Amino acid sequence: MKKIIETENLRTNFYTYEGVVKALNDVCITVNHGETFGLVGESGCGKSVTVRSMMRIIQSPGKVESGKVLLFLDENGEQEAVDLLQQSESYMQSCCGDQISMIFQEPNAALNPIMSIGEQVAESFLFHRKKSLSEASLERLNAQDCKVPFKGIFKNLYKKYHEDENAFVFKLLSHIPLLNRWDFLIRQEAFKRAVEIISKLGIPHAEDIAVQFPHNLSGGMKQRIVIAIALACSPMLLIADEATSNLDVTIQAQILELLKDLKKKHISSILLITHDLGVVAETCDRVGVMYAGSLCEVAESRELFGNPSHPYTKALLESVPKFHQEGALKTIEGNVPNLVTPPAGCRFHPRCKHRMDICDKEVPNLLEIGKNHSVACHLFGDK
Amino acid sequence: MLSTHKLVNILQAYIIRRLFFLFFVIFGVSLLVFTIQYSYGPDRRAMLYVDSPQQAKDIPELKKKYGLNDPYPVQYVRYLKEIAMGNFGYSIVAARPVWDAFLHYLPITIELNLFVVPLFIIIGIWLGKQAGIKRNTTYDHVTRILAIIGWSLPTFLFALILLMIFYGKFGLFEPAMLSANIEAFILDNPDKYIKYTGMYTIDGILNGEFGITWDAIKHLFLPVLTQVIVIVAILMRVMRSSMVEEISKDYVITAQAKGVDSKTIFNKHVKRNALIPVITIAGQLAALSMEGSIAVEMIFNRHGIGNWLAHAALKLDTSVIMFMCLFMAVIFVVTNLIIDLLYAYIDPRIRLT
Ligand SMILES: Nc1ncnc2c1ncn2[C@@H]1O[C@H](COP(=O)(O)OP(=O)(O)OP(=O)(O)O)[C@@H](O)[C@H]1O
Ligand SMILES: [Mg+2]
Repeated sequence: MKKIIETENLRTNFYTYEGVVKALNDVCITVNHGETFGLVGESGCGKSVTVRSMMRIIQSPGKVESGKVLLFLDENGEQEAVDLLQQSESYMQSCCGDQISMIFQEPNAALNPIMSIGEQVAESFLFHRKKSLSEASLERLNAQDCKVPFKGIFKNLYKKYHEDENAFVFKLLSHIPLLNRWDFLIRQEAFKRAVEIISKLGIPHAEDIAVQFPHNLSGGMKQRIVIAIALACSPMLLIADEATSNLDVTIQAQILELLKDLKKKHISSILLITHDLGVVAETCDRVGVMYAGSLCEVAESRELFGNPSHPYTKALLESVPKFHQEGALKTIEGNVPNLVTPPAGCRFHPRCKHRMDICDKEVPNLLEIGKNHSVACHLFGDK
Repeated sequence: MLSTHKLVNILQAYIIRRLFFLFFVIFGVSLLVFTIQYSYGPDRRAMLYVDSPQQAKDIPELKKKYGLNDPYPVQYVRYLKEIAMGNFGYSIVAARPVWDAFLHYLPITIELNLFVVPLFIIIGIWLGKQAGIKRNTTYDHVTRILAIIGWSLPTFLFALILLMIFYGKFGLFEPAMLSANIEAFILDNPDKYIKYTGMYTIDGILNGEFGITWDAIKHLFLPVLTQVIVIVAILMRVMRSSMVEEISKDYVITAQAKGVDSKTIFNKHVKRNALIPVITIAGQLAALSMEGSIAVEMIFNRHGIGNWLAHAALKLDTSVIMFMCLFMAVIFVVTNLIIDLLYAYIDPRIRLT
């Protein structure tokens, strides 16, 4: 299988008043073309920070310190990978939302409260599909029954825009009130496409929904809109950051089903973040387990559930309630470490039952212990 | 989605309802100011009509004439009747009826505000937006310090400093409303200069005398500058903190992940959201400046509402003060109405009901 995105030793810090929060500690994740990769771990272990670092949308006071985020654009792996961390701001703008896009944890907060649903979805097209939008607008202008005043002027403008969208005229026009509305046909076209994608996601009466504002919609609807925004330009990689955590169980199942369905039709890979191990078992091909900012174990999901190797993974799986539960639920002893002063060596060692002398001295490397199964633990160091 | 027709109906109903509410506010304010001045007692109030010790013997007569000994409700109803007919009493300091004096002074304050209000709104919001975007940079620190200076220096001191620098040092921008020769020209040529609005800048244009407009603008420069700086200092900080709060919201990340460029994020997503709390403050500040800044009008020798009010307060010109209370009540009700309409325009979550 070919890789689509890979992080190498990603390190991200937050410079807060309490000190430097070392949120990520050399995280290495690989997602392949065509697979669903699950990322699990306790709350606060850095799942969101990992994917946000990958898309370079960490908010201040956070900063990606070192590492690489390699994006493999074509499936055959012939083309050179691009390191997203080295790219310019404008490259990231053209990449985010087009090749990679993200669904967010909180549908309530993820939408702009004072912008209509349709406009928010249309923005994806406006920023990534300028060419085809201006083409469609030109077509409309050229149609016989098109009634637009100053048709000739608009035709010229749109033709010019189609050829060179960065021309000086458009920069000038965008600063003049009223004249900055010259692109209304493009906006209408983008809105039309937004309505299309919204209805594709199984929302009835998409035209009516598109002119509504987020507060008029239910949580599940909002999450679908957030998904619509992410899917608008058919990305290669969709990152779903706990897309279902805040929804009730039925809606959750619907959304997961929707994602599965969309993966078949439109997108290549999904990076699914969740702390619901059931969801992982059901949907993911491979799983990565994170603890306190570092990756402890990566394996195919069947392998991971059948043969968990890292002490933390074992503890995590044991703490899931089972139907035939006997006795009290097992919990992991101790607390999640403070990431301002994380434990030296393996970050899990203070809570680990199999602690050895070396554990608080050296950071364990991620070692392959089986087919597609890697563990970062000193227990496996000798093998 | 609402049709335009329906929207107009809702708006109409809302505005009418709010203006109806204005009556109650005026009733309340009139009761309050009347009660306060009533607490002075008949003799004190009769004294207001007396200019010299010789006339003091007239006091019993005055009390009878104006019914100052009548019971409280009778006097209040009489007062209400008079203001309903547009009679707000006589201003001693202006030596004419309050309403006439008001119409005379109002254009001068409005003229100042015509420049001050748009300027402080545009500049304050723009500076605040930049400071919020460039939080914790030199720009932010410098504007913060300037803002602290701007609002902690008393206005009169600030006005004096500006006057000292510009007029004292360079002889620019003298304090008055017009230069002496222009004023003489207006007095001498009542046929060429017709007073339409009472605002020199606008009347100058309407009469085709652009020299007058230019002269008036030159004289407006310092007072406008003083007032704008003081108000901008407040508004800018409000806008900044509102921006900072909005920038950390999740929808900003959504927009970033969508590939929206930062200019659009700031100007289209964040700014509009950040404006919502700022509108209230900006509206209140604009309403307050309708009262005329006393310090600015006194120091720059502009005979507007603020100047009049200051003199009236010193001379215990009660009719003026009672009238100004009513006037400001109207201004605030109308401002709040405008603020609410703006709210409803910007924020779809707000319904006009
Ligand atoms: N803005 C911030 N300022 C300071 N520290 C932060 C910030 N954002 C994240 N962190 C730190 O990064 C760590 C990882 O946070 P992250 O949001 O990635 O957790 P998560 O795994 O996504 O958890 P959850 O399951 O609750 O979403 C947290 O422990 C937190 O201390
Ligand atoms: Mg998270």
